[in-house]
Amino acid sequence: MMLGPWLDYTVNGLIIGNIYALLAVGLALIFGVANLINFAHGSVYTVGAYIGWASITFLHTPLPITLLLVIVGCGLLGIAIERVGLRALHGRSRIAPLLATIGISLVLDQLVQLICSPDPRALPNQLGDRRFQIGGGTIGTLDILIAGIGIGSAALLYLFLRFTKLGWAVRATAQDQDAARQMGVDTDRVNMTVFAIASALGGVGGVLVGMYYNDIDPNMSFDATLKGVVAMMIGGLGNVPGAIGGGLLLGLTESYGIALFGSSYRNLFAFALLILILVAAPNGLFQRRRETPPEPLTGTFVARSRPVRLPPWLVAGAVVVAALLPLTNQPYLLQTLTNGLLSALLALSLTLVAGTVGQISLGHAALLAIGGYASGLLALDLGWPVDLGVPAAGLITAALGTLLVYPALRMRGHYVSIATLGIGQIVALVILNWTGLTRGAMGLTGLPPPEIGGFDLTSVRSVYWLVLALVVGIALLQARLLSSHLGRAWRAIREDDVAARSYGVDANRYKAMAFAFGGFGAGVGGAITAHVYSYIDYQTFSATLSILALTMVILGGLGNIVGAILGAVVLTALPEMFRFAADYRMLAYGLVLLLLIRYRPQGLLGTV
Amino acid sequence: MLQVRGLARRFGGVTAVAGIDLDVAEGEFVSIIGPNGAGKSTLFNLMSGLDRPDAGSVRFDGVDVTGARPERLAALGLARTFQHGRVFGNLSVLDNVLVGAHTRLRAARPAVPVLGALLELALAAILPGSVRAEERALRADAEKILAMFGDRLLPRRDQPAFGLSYANRRRVEIARALALRPRLLMMDEPTAGMNETETAEMQELIAGLKARGQTILLIEHKLEMVMRLSDRVLAMDDGRRIAEGPPDAVRHDPAVIEAYLGHASMGQAEAAE
Amino acid sequence: MLDRRSLLAGAAAVGVASFARAGRAADAPAIVGVSGPITGPMAQYGAQWKASFDLALEQSKAAGGPAVDYVFEDSQADPRQSVAIAQKFVNDDRIFIEIGDFSSTASMAASPIYQRAKLVQFGMTNSHPDFTKGGDYMWSSSISQAEEQPNLADYAVNALGLKKLAVLHLNTDWGTTAKNLFVKAAQDKGADVVATEAFLPGEHDFRSTLVRIRDANPTGLVLEAYYADAAVIARQVRELGLKQPIAAVGSVYSPKLLELGGDAVNGMFTQSNFFPDDPRPEVQAFVKAFQAKYGRAPDGFNATAYDTMNLVIALVKQFSATREGIHEGLAKIKDVPSVVYGSMTFDPTTRRVAGAKFERLTVKDDKFVLWDGTKPNLG
Ligand SMILES: Nc1ncnc2c1ncn2[C@@H]1O[C@H](COP(=O)(O)OP(=O)(O)OP(=O)(O)O)[C@@H](O)[C@H]1O
Ligand SMILES: [Mg+2]
Repeated sequence: MMLGPWLDYTVNGLIIGNIYALLAVGLALIFGVANLINFAHGSVYTVGAYIGWASITFLHTPLPITLLLVIVGCGLLGIAIERVGLRALHGRSRIAPLLATIGISLVLDQLVQLICSPDPRALPNQLGDRRFQIGGGTIGTLDILIAGIGIGSAALLYLFLRFTKLGWAVRATAQDQDAARQMGVDTDRVNMTVFAIASALGGVGGVLVGMYYNDIDPNMSFDATLKGVVAMMIGGLGNVPGAIGGGLLLGLTESYGIALFGSSYRNLFAFALLILILVAAPNGLFQRRRETPPEPLTGTFVARSRPVRLPPWLVAGAVVVAALLPLTNQPYLLQTLTNGLLSALLALSLTLVAGTVGQISLGHAALLAIGGYASGLLALDLGWPVDLGVPAAGLITAALGTLLVYPALRMRGHYVSIATLGIGQIVALVILNWTGLTRGAMGLTGLPPPEIGGFDLTSVRSVYWLVLALVVGIALLQARLLSSHLGRAWRAIREDDVAARSYGVDANRYKAMAFAFGGFGAGVGGAITAHVYSYIDYQTFSATLSILALTMVILGGLGNIVGAILGAVVLTALPEMFRFAADYRMLAYGLVLLLLIRYRPQGLLGTV
Repeated sequence: MLQVRGLARRFGGVTAVAGIDLDVAEGEFVSIIGPNGAGKSTLFNLMSGLDRPDAGSVRFDGVDVTGARPERLAALGLARTFQHGRVFGNLSVLDNVLVGAHTRLRAARPAVPVLGALLELALAAILPGSVRAEERALRADAEKILAMFGDRLLPRRDQPAFGLSYANRRRVEIARALALRPRLLMMDEPTAGMNETETAEMQELIAGLKARGQTILLIEHKLEMVMRLSDRVLAMDDGRRIAEGPPDAVRHDPAVIEAYLGHASMGQAEAAE
Repeated sequence: MLDRRSLLAGAAAVGVASFARAGRAADAPAIVGVSGPITGPMAQYGAQWKASFDLALEQSKAAGGPAVDYVFEDSQADPRQSVAIAQKFVNDDRIFIEIGDFSSTASMAASPIYQRAKLVQFGMTNSHPDFTKGGDYMWSSSISQAEEQPNLADYAVNALGLKKLAVLHLNTDWGTTAKNLFVKAAQDKGADVVATEAFLPGEHDFRSTLVRIRDANPTGLVLEAYYADAAVIARQVRELGLKQPIAAVGSVYSPKLLELGGDAVNGMFTQSNFFPDDPRPEVQAFVKAFQAKYGRAPDGFNATAYDTMNLVIALVKQFSATREGIHEGLAKIKDVPSVVYGSMTFDPTTRRVAGAKFERLTVKDDKFVLWDGTKPNLG
């Protein structure tokens, strides 16, 4: 029998799963207590790896001291993140801390890159590598250490949570922050402790994994966060022992996926597993069904705010000025604004879905990709004229986007975010692997420029006008929908879907309608982008763009139409404006973002 | 109109509702009383589709709606308020009430299978006259409902609900439920957290509804109000029915007195009476 | 004489100049626009470019060369930013040639803008076969995979005697092109390709992939990867207990491969068009100067960037620091001394350079050395 290779695949799956588990434990701990998916966890992991590298390289520390330094360093970093970055946001809205962790992650990654250079570094394994034969392969001492630390730390955590006073406080806080506070628990201290522990664990993970591969670089954080979050989700949000199971299961799934279909399908399997779990067992594999959610006093999802009411003449005036801009001869400015407006098409769509309906989508850029590929393939393979292909791409995106997000419609809160993150990844991976249709990694080349009635729009000026007209058109349409009963229903779902459903608002139906309308706008945006660039591949609309779009929407104010456009233009222009800062510009961007979340969580123009 | 048979719901070890039977006839005013944790709110949740029973059945107007989705029950004319208040914080007072009227939208929500959602989207974008007229009528009606609360809500109709006082948020809850033009109105402690004047005001309003012939199912701790308004009272404890009948009979039922004495919190309510 | 007319003309000229803001003053240096990553996931490559550009310009200046300078705009290799940079460059009159971007995704998105503005876009790392098809202003000195892969196949199949091959390739336009060309060439030379596996950029875990490869029973492994990936793969190959020889494409050639790969890369075969121990004088001059300035050995990316800046200087010397001058010059210029190619001459129809030299290398005792012709032990 062919048992041999399957044993190897199993061992390998467990080994990589081990690493995921280590990441997931920290994430689960933080989620359990702070009710927050910490997107900075991967960055802490990277910082840990670099602290380890520095202490080995410059101080020549032996392994125990190296680990101790990493634990102390990352523990302090965790405390700083909680204290400086998150505490002030407490009770503002559930979205603000999530975004803050994204901002923190950006800042940390940039700092690591600036201090340690972007080059990959070797991180020598200090353990010495003895290898043991298992099946057809081997496992090394480091594999065993990683597993030991994963399981050991989970066990220690369990004991700590069960049997110490602080542990009791942590559990009480995890149950209900406010109640715990009333019972005299110093929840700030608890949060800080938890961040310290989780970050120390993350940092240790970073060093060990770095040693394992003998390779660390400042970009390892995003993948780490992603896989950690998936593993945690499989184990059940905030379930610490579950996180270990989730990590191992994720590792096994990937390994078997590779075994069956080859390595380019591994992530496809990982995210398909994620979606499957979210649909079939939304509380993870190791937890029973959660009961009906407690009744909130009012919607707590978005920050309470009174939107800034811009006088119509001001908005109209801004549009007129924008329309006249091309008459000055400033192509660079126009190109930047065109990019901003193309992003605005995405932001409008996202502000509807995430802001108005409250479904925080972390995979929205996938809609651009679908639109871009649809229009591009219609032009290249079927010879459709671009002015027909673009609206068709909008419709295709609306249909396909709604269909894809269908499993996420009945989810709530963080589950939606993670599901859409997964769906976004799946779209990119399908584009990459479905070579027959999409040309795979080669991308679509030689796309014709945008056209209207047979006239090619090649000058930056004409494209700018086209995109401006589209943005204004879609914004007006969206405003009209918002002022109708649809707007009411959408916002009711966001505020409290239970109450909305009790009044006959069919939440799934209205969510789907929002995704369809939003999908159309984003699809058109992606299509035009594709034709302006003349070349797209699966990385043109990457996951970072989804995150960027979300920050645009938050910056403008959730659900705020003018805000979304403003946010898109500002966040596209900001990095351009920071060009003088050269290497520091992404750092500056991250800091500005953090300050904004801190001091104006409802966004520039306020939530609508 | 409403027939509940043997309804039961367990949470882990706790049996929150243990085989409750309940009938409400057209135009009747039925109250449910019982100490904290008796299972009253859970019973409401089971009847309004927010939770699924482990056993038993619910029939509404002769239709079996056991475990039906809340949307469907709303469409059938069942409206409820929530004990802890679930107003839409970032929506204006008027919009809150208009959401209550959602099931009454006809022109804006064409009953077409499959393509209905697309048509609804298109109509909202085009806004034909019929849709506009309907919206206008609903708005006028919503303002009329707000006017029932004197000048508590009407002057604040364009303010976001999160800025309202606690009592006003309870009023919005009720206004929203009324906007559905419910055949059966279910209220879960509408006067919780209100002072005496406010309670009296609310009692007047509810009495007015009853006088209009509104069928009402009420959960309430304030016994005076229950006694004055109810046609019939159901008393619960530990998920079971301990007494049922006319207010006076239930009030003097030894089981009820026993249940209330056994619970310190309700002892106070009794004493306050 | 100042009459009203010339006053008016002067005022108009000032007006136009301030509008076009970037009009070049007669004595200001001509400027090369560079669009590439300084921040973001690919930042290391931008840093390597900079080092080589600075070196080349410094040397040219010391030798009394033409006044050329460069501006480096950070694109993060992101198409949204590279198109904005393109608009900036094409409307800056001082800029007479553009270099970059790093990735095809970013470069090719900006190509239409450069093409329409008739500013040469010199994609020195853009190996995507369609890059130079973007228009007659797209030129590239990137090693053509069509040239490199048959060479690698010859090395692996004929020279090393590996007849049953497993190929691991990066799943990008570059890696896929390389893999396809290699497989075809290897098969033409009579080898069997028993497995091909694609992996995503940034992937670190290859254990299961390698089990698949192990079970296909190859006599040798071929890597179409960059050095960091190649190091990680080689380590896991050896950890899994696979003993087969590994041959890899030239882009693994970097001192970093040795640092990251350690013992596991000993015995790896590769080929490079740039090899610091190459006795050719232009190579030795470059390596010495680079080592002196930066205290480390240059790698292939450094060499490419150095060559490119020297090419620009040569173009300016022989033709002119104008957009048209460069466009014409690239088609005409002959035998520009080059670290990578020995000497560069462009084919005006493909707008690429042919005739890259490949040195066959192997890693021995943690150093790259020229391959001495010993076949690996296939026992
Ligand atoms: N979602 C739930 N999960 C677990 N137990 C629950 C849940 N909802 C209610 N219970 C339990 O069921 C029992 C009945 O609760 P319920 O809220 O129905 O009581 P009640 O009669 O409405 O009380 P009160 O007068 O305080 O509102 C209580 O013991 C409560 O703790
Ligand atoms: Mg209750």
